[in-house]
Amino acid sequence: MIKDKVAIVTGGSRGIGRAIVLELVRSGAKVVFTYLKSDEAAAKLLDEIKELKGEAEAIKSDSREYSQAKKVIDGALAKFGHIDILVNNAGIIKDKALMFMEPAEWRDVIETNLTGYFNMAKACIVTMMKQKSGNIINISSVAGVVGTPRQINYASAKAGICGLTKSLAKEVALYNIRVNAVAPGYIETDMTKDLKYKENLLKMIPSGRFGAPEEVAKVVSFLASDRSGYITGQVIKVDGGLAM
Amino acid sequence: MPKIDNPTLEKELREIIARVTEIEPGEITLESRFVEDLGMDSMMALEILAAMEKKYTIQIPEEKLAQLRTLKDTISLAKEYL
Repeated sequence: MIKDKVAIVTGGSRGIGRAIVLELVRSGAKVVFTYLKSDEAAAKLLDEIKELKGEAEAIKSDSREYSQAKKVIDGALAKFGHIDILVNNAGIIKDKALMFMEPAEWRDVIETNLTGYFNMAKACIVTMMKQKSGNIINISSVAGVVGTPRQINYASAKAGICGLTKSLAKEVALYNIRVNAVAPGYIETDMTKDLKYKENLLKMIPSGRFGAPEEVAKVVSFLASDRSGYITGQVIKVDGGLAM
Repeated sequence: MPKIDNPTLEKELREIIARVTEIEPGEITLESRFVEDLGMDSMMALEILAAMEKKYTIQIPEEKLAQLRTLKDTISLAKEYL
C-alpha cells in the first residue's frame, strides 16, 4: 500500500530513522533520506537498500536551515514528480539538569528537533496541498508527553512536535493530508546506549525491555499507508506501556 | 504562448477568482482584498494559483502565494510568468 510512493525521511542513516527507511523501502516506497554527519552510515545503508533492490537516495542536509530543507524537497520533486510521505525524524539530545544547561544547548535541541520539523513540513506542504494528498509523520517521544528530568530541551521540543502535529492535522485535513506523530519510549539505539540507571528504567517499563527501532518503523509504515486512512492528528505511543 | 492583452488577462483572472470564491465577477474590483473582502481562505488561494498555472501553462513558485492579495496583485504576478 506504500508501493511506488515517494517518501522523505530526515535523519535516516542511523537509529530509528534507519529502521524507518528500510521498512519503507521493503514496502516498495522510493525513499530520499537525509543525514547530517554520518557519511559512512549513509553509504552503508544505501548498499543495504541496493541488496534489497530498493530505490533510495541519501542527501547530506541540515534541516535547521529552511533553505536546505526546501532543497531536499525540490530535489525529490524534480526527480520523482510528487511527494507522498514526509517522516520528520532527525533529532539530537543534549541532556543536562536545567541548572547546568547552557542556553546554546537549549537552542540546538529546539532548532533541530522542532524547527527542523517545521522547516521540512513547510517546504512540502504546498506540494501536498496541490496534490490533494499527503502524509506527514513526526517522530516525537514519550519524553514530550510525560516529561523527563535532565531533558527539558528535548522534552519541550518533543511536546512541541505534538502541538505541531495536531494543529497541522486540523489545518490540512480537507486537503486529504494526514499528520500524525509517533512517540517512542526507550528504544535500543545509539541515542540510548549510554543511558545510566538502565536497570531502574527497565523496572518502569511494563514490557520489561527496551523497544527495537523496527517496532517503531512498523507503526510509521502503518501510518504512511492507506490502512490508517481515517487516523489523523494522533500521537501514537510505542513504548511498551511506559506512559499510560 | 501569445501575449495576452491587459483587459483580457484581467477578465480571465477575475473569472477564475469569481468561480473559486463564488462571488459575482462584477463585485470583484481590482482592489478588493481577497481575505478581508472576499472571504478567501488558503484553499481558495491555492485553487486560484493552480487554475492560473493550468490556464496559462506557467509555473508560479509557492513563495509567491503570499503576494495574492487582490486582483491587481494577481494580474501583476501572472504577468511576471507569462
